[in-house]
Amino acid sequence: MSPRSAVVLSEVRKSFPAGDGGNLEVLNVEHLALSAASCTVLRGRSGSGKTTLLNLIAGIVLPSAGTIEVEDTDLFALSEARRDRFRAEHIGYVFQSFNLLAAFSALENVMLAMLFAQVIPQRLQRQRAGELLAQLGLAARLAHKPQHLSRGEQQRVAIARALANNPPIILADEPCASLDAATAREVMAAFLAVCRQDGKTLLLVSHEQAALGDADQIIDMAELNRAEIGKAAP
Amino acid sequence: MTILTVAIKYLRGRLPASVLTTVSIALGVGLVIASILVSRGIKEGFIAGATDYNLIIGAKGSPTQLVLAVVFRMDIATPNIEYTIYEELKDDSRIDVAVPVMVGDAYQGFRYVATNSAYFAVFPWRRRMYSLSSGRFFRDDPVDSPAYEAVLGAEAAGGTGLRLGDRFYEGEEMADHPLTVVGILRPTHSADDRAIFISLSSFWGMNELAHGMVIKPLTAVLVRPKRLSDITGLHRERNVAAETQAVLPSGVLLTIFNMMAVAQEALNMILVIVGVIVLIYVFVAMYSATLERRREIATMRALGARRATVLAIVLVESGTLAVAGGIGGILAGHAAAYLAAAMLAARSGLVSQPFQFDAVQPAVLAIVILLGALAGLLPAVLAYRTEVAENLAPLS
Repeated sequence: MSPRSAVVLSEVRKSFPAGDGGNLEVLNVEHLALSAASCTVLRGRSGSGKTTLLNLIAGIVLPSAGTIEVEDTDLFALSEARRDRFRAEHIGYVFQSFNLLAAFSALENVMLAMLFAQVIPQRLQRQRAGELLAQLGLAARLAHKPQHLSRGEQQRVAIARALANNPPIILADEPCASLDAATAREVMAAFLAVCRQDGKTLLLVSHEQAALGDADQIIDMAELNRAEIGKAAP
Repeated sequence: MTILTVAIKYLRGRLPASVLTTVSIALGVGLVIASILVSRGIKEGFIAGATDYNLIIGAKGSPTQLVLAVVFRMDIATPNIEYTIYEELKDDSRIDVAVPVMVGDAYQGFRYVATNSAYFAVFPWRRRMYSLSSGRFFRDDPVDSPAYEAVLGAEAAGGTGLRLGDRFYEGEEMADHPLTVVGILRPTHSADDRAIFISLSSFWGMNELAHGMVIKPLTAVLVRPKRLSDITGLHRERNVAAETQAVLPSGVLLTIFNMMAVAQEALNMILVIVGVIVLIYVFVAMYSATLERRREIATMRALGARRATVLAIVLVESGTLAVAGGIGGILAGHAAAYLAAAMLAARSGLVSQPFQFDAVQPAVLAIVILLGALAGLLPAVLAYRTEVAENLAPLS
């Protein structure tokens, strides 16, 4: 029996308006399926459509054509408001630039994600945020604002925030790209351990050896993205 | 965590800008509240302080000056009339009550008002009642043996610190005839609270010029006719006479209110301009704050915040600023009105009541919140329309 697919893309295309008045196709994926509780690493050259693919799966950008099913839900059959709610409940997103909110402490940044999803009861939100941060080694940093945290600590907060609502799917866009090698290894190991432990479906854009070594599936954008075929390698 | 706590966190995150915006709202609201309270206070002070008498007979000149000097003690007194005019009026069969009044100099800023006991008498038609908190009224003493007794208005007593039995005078020329405090009045909420009442004989005895005059001087006579229909005749007669004018205090009040209305209109225009400037300031502050955090808004959207949620956060921010500024402004406006009322009372004798809570305060607060939300609306729409992917590009 084949494992259940948590994410399925069929004939997905994404084009952006080009300067000459036409459209520039940046993504053309015939089929992609991510098994539930698997770790998939996406790699490819800069501009190969990795971030666009993640944004499409997150429902942040609309596809020009095709369907995307996440947890058996056709993402783009939903209204925008319901898609936002679906994203809050089902998808955790870790950004390359952390994107922590400067006015909020580490604890509050994690709680903010819970405010939008409302899946964790309000009385438990503080406790859960604290536990997640402690799990990632930040128990002593709960009240610190992002600017008072190191880059490695900031990314751990971002990971805790992505896990806040206990979503089944985690998308991570080069989460360790802006960290030094030692910190990147450390953060990546913690991230992968938490995802494995909680059975998350992880789609990770990374060139980290730790990620590649731990992956169930490695996808090269040059092979996945038909819009990329024929383009010169970097 | 709620939308409100998120909005407050953001406001605290840019504390100097938030404080400045709140202060600017508070200043605008304070100006509006102070203006409303002061102008209303002045108007009500004029009405409350107006005399119960229908006519004031005084020397020829400005009717407004006569009323302001005799009733509100605000202007310099008009030239004097002769005491015989009072005697004529007193004996006029059409007149119920005539009260002579002489407005003199001041002791520590509190005016001497010379009159007789009729000034304090109780009549069925009187609105204002005079009662003593201590002592007694002065006696109607004969011209040749003045008693030099004084009855102090409530504020005059407080302001001078004089008590029953105290003797006082101002200037060496009055040292021979010090006044003795025999009574202190309860507050009347009129210019009388700031007056030092003495008998006419005492005044004439103290005043060197008046002392030597055969026919004694008066500033004015307050007149109450027996029938209202006689007002017109008395008014005409006294205006035709060479040395006197008769003034209807209510008519002068109307003139004063008309003059105030013109000033109020100009003030209203200034207040509207101030309001618009504050509104623009709030808008610019909210707009730039929203522009600065487009990335954060995009992040919130990526985390699952709906467009309506980010719209609400920005609106709650501007609404919170409006509430804080509005409440601060109402308090500041009352404080300013209180100071203005105290200054007005000290300088003019016009007593106004600045602390009046009624529909104005909640109405102003509601309008401020509405305008605050309006100023935040466009920035909120900007937040609402923030495109997630465009604003989440990795930082270099």
